[in-house]
Order: sequence, then structure tokens, then C-alpha cells
Amino acid sequence: MSAAVDERVTDEIEALEAILMDDVVIKRVGEMPDIIETVVHPSTGDDIDQQFVCVTLEVKLTPEYPDSSPLVTLRNPRGLDDKLLSTINSQIKEKLSDCLGQPVVFELIELIRENLTESNLPSGQCVICLYGFTEGDVFIKTQCYHHFHSHCLANHLIAGRRYYQEELEKIPLWQQVSAPPYQQTCPVCRCPVSCDVDTLKKAPPPMDSITAPPFCLTAELKDLQRKMAALLAQQVAKGGVVGVGDTGPPPLTITTPADNEIQEEATNGSPGASQEVKVEAIVERQNGNGSNGNSTPGSPNSRPVYRGPYSLVRTYLVAPPSHLGLVIIMILDERRLLLDIGLLKVLHKDWCPHSSARDPQPGRRTTLWLAYPQGGLELSSHN
Amino acid sequence: MAALPRRIIKETQRLMQEPVPGISAVPSDTNARYFHVIVTGPEDSPFEGGLFKLELFLPEDYPMSAPKVRFITKIYHPNIDRLGRICLDILKDKWSPALQIRTVLLSIQALLSAPNPDDPLANDVAELWKVNESEAIRNAKEWTRRYAMDN
Repeated sequence: MSAAVDERVTDEIEALEAILMDDVVIKRVGEMPDIIETVVHPSTGDDIDQQFVCVTLEVKLTPEYPDSSPLVTLRNPRGLDDKLLSTINSQIKEKLSDCLGQPVVFELIELIRENLTESNLPSGQCVICLYGFTEGDVFIKTQCYHHFHSHCLANHLIAGRRYYQEELEKIPLWQQVSAPPYQQTCPVCRCPVSCDVDTLKKAPPPMDSITAPPFCLTAELKDLQRKMAALLAQQVAKGGVVGVGDTGPPPLTITTPADNEIQEEATNGSPGASQEVKVEAIVERQNGNGSNGNSTPGSPNSRPVYRGPYSLVRTYLVAPPSHLGLVIIMILDERRLLLDIGLLKVLHKDWCPHSSARDPQPGRRTTLWLAYPQGGLELSSHN
Repeated sequence: MAALPRRIIKETQRLMQEPVPGISAVPSDTNARYFHVIVTGPEDSPFEGGLFKLELFLPEDYPMSAPKVRFITKIYHPNIDRLGRICLDILKDKWSPALQIRTVLLSIQALLSAPNPDDPLANDVAELWKVNESEAIRNAKEWTRRYAMDN
């Protein structure tokens, strides 16, 4: 049935198995050898710790091999960038056409090994800081052949451990007992790794990160910012923005009269407040760290919350409900504030917000007046 | 205020130099950790043709912890709730510092192509997506047309 295997091929495979032993895998289809696979490392004697790069060579034999070229693929490159890989690939192509008619696998392994030995320093970048590896950098190779500056990997492992602990504390005690223990993982492939964090974190930060140029907004960026703002304004106007025209709790809520009576008692001490509701809020730009404890002092509990881009620091309701509210806003981003005012107008068209300052300055306290129909105004913080 | 980590600067530069098709992310003028984002709805999805605005914030310990991202434009999707919050593992326990702003946004774009009603954040949407997919898709198209299209 099956054609006899070419003697040249049998000899080559025998030799490969004799020399590489467990490091070579021969996949067969029936009797016929089909794929030869091996991981190629740089020559570093027997010092495995000094091998920083590797790649898997896969040779798929054709029925006519070695009289026709096999199909050669490089897989799972570690520590090699695209440029080096394409160099190796084009050398492989040349080698294949030069060696037509004779076994080529050893030649290929040798060719790749030479290239790896020459660049036995991880090329590409540390994926954690996005800087390369240069002279003087302290870096580490994981068991899965991924490279990181020791400094960067330490930060990752410390953060990973902290996240694990935080998540663990959220589940009930009886479940904590059976939770899987913390396992360090490689940031790239998520394989388990085991590293000594204390040693890693003594390493200095990557050299390139120290000398990198500072950030500045380019004209291109500013142009894009303008386009973004225009699009947002357009979507706000159409009611296409989260929180606008929703049937559920609106992002900004008018409290019930009963709530305001409670507030009234609490704030009775302010004379001459007349018919005005005064809501003073010092808000700051949402910084995403919703963890600061001073989120909602002074505001009633469990109310639908303001989900705008500012998080609230303090709220005061200092007078009975009426037609005019006062919000004091710490402006950190003028355009954003103006958009918010636009949003309020869309939300409750009876409201008439306007700013006391003609040209609000970032970081300056600015008074924002809100005239609104009935009830108090409540703002509470994100999360 | 602490200086902006070089990694953030580098990512910002790269986003400008090699933009990802269908995605733009621009830092705010006042806070380089806050990005205005537009993701275009993927082809052959109910969100095709839509321009979805998102906000993305890089927390203090980024890239050791995940960016915070939410949709600003309304979207009808089982894994995105009414407040624009996104249910995506890489934004939570599957975060890795090897991910970047661009990969996060690509994942979000992929989520638009492949809604997953079995892991819902917006329960009513997910329910409809499971019971009557064609109606759910009609809704998603309608929301896209109404809220996320240019005209």
C-alpha cells in the first residue's frame, strides 16, 4: 500500500533521533514520517540559564522530499522580534533551494541556532513598561521564555498578589478556605511562574524609561480632541448618551419633598435663605479610584446617583426646596463642564444652568446656578 | 502630582503613529490619564455604521491594574449595561500588564461582534437576546441608528 520511505529520509530521521533524542518529535502518518518538530536554542554550552531566546522549528515533509522542499514553519518565537524572524525565514528559503535533493533538517537547525546565538538577548520590548532591554538593565527570563525587566515583573507580581487578596476577602469565609491558592502567572501567556519577588524588586527600573522624552500634546492630538468633543455634543443633543432620557433612575435626581424636609431640619441654622435651595457641591473630576472614603457625606443614602464625569466631594442642602439651586463646581476641565451643562439642559429642559464665571479656569472654583422646578437637587458620588 | 509613567506616554504616541483601524483614543487636554475614545461598530454586526463614544481612565497603578472603561453612547448589548459599564474578563480578573489601551479597545470591539448573552450585565437585553435573537438584533440596529450614527 504505502510507498517505501526514501532511504535518505530514514537515515536523516535516525540521525536526528540519535542526536537530539527527546528534543525532537517525529509525527508519522502510518509508516510515513510527516512532521519533524524541535525547539531550537542558542549555543551556550550547557548553560541553560544563559539562553534567552528560542523558537520551535516545524518541518512538514512532502511525499517527494528531499527532491522537493519541505514546508518549514517557525512557531512560538521567544525573545525574537518580527525583524529577526523574517531574516531567519528568508535565510531558510535560500537554504531550502540550495539543498534541494538532499536532507535539509540539520542544516536548518544549524542556521537557526547561529542566528539565535548571535542575538541571544531578548529583542523586542518588556511588555510591562514597553521599553527595550539595553546594557545595564536587569531582566529575567521566565520558565516560559518570556522576558521582563526584573523591576517590572516584581511590580506585576506584587499587584497580582494584592488583587488576589482583595478578591479573596470579598467571598464568605467558608468559601475562602476552599479557594485555590495564589499562583504567580506570566503576564504574556498566563503560565504559572515562580519568582522571588523580594529579589526582583531590588532591581533598578529600566534604563530607557529614565531617559525617555516627556509627553506633550501635538497639534494632531488637539485636532482629534476637537473632533471627539463635536461628536459627543452631537450625540448629547440626540439623547444618545448614557443616562439621557432613560426610563430608569436618571443620572441626576430630584429628591422628593419628604427628603427635603429632613434636610431642612438638618440645616435649619441658615437664616435668610428665603426661597432658595442651595446645593453646594465641590466636585472633582472623576479619577477612577472610587475608593476614597469621603464620597457621600451629607447626602441621603441609597438614592439613584449622579453618574456624570465628576465625583462629588461634599454636598450641602442649606435651605428649603424652591426654584433655585446652587452648585459650586471645581472645574478641572472646562469643555467637560460645558458639556455637562448641555447634558443637564437636555435632561430637564426646565432647568436653566448658567455659570457665574464668564471664563471658567481649570482648577478654579466656579459657581454654577441651576434654576429648576421643584424639589431639591441631589448629587451623590460615583460608586 | 506624580509624573506620567513613560509607558502611558509611549502608548499614547503609538496610538497616534499607528492607529488601530476603527478605533481612536485621544487623551484629554487636562488629564493625560483620561482618554476620549471612539469605537466604530464592527462590520456584519448590528452595530455596523455606529460611532460609539467611550471614556477610558488609567488608574494610578496602571499597567498593574486594568483601565476603567465605559460606554458613553447608548448601546443595546447584553454585556453592556444601561450605565455603559462593560462586562469583560480582561477588565477584571483576567487583566495582564501585557495588555494595552489598544488591545483593550480591540477586545471591546470584538465584544460588539460577539455578544455573549450567557454572561450578561444587562439582564433584560440578554434575556431577549436568548429568547428572540432576531428582535434583539433589530433593537440593537435601531439603537445604533438612532444614537450612534452621524446624521
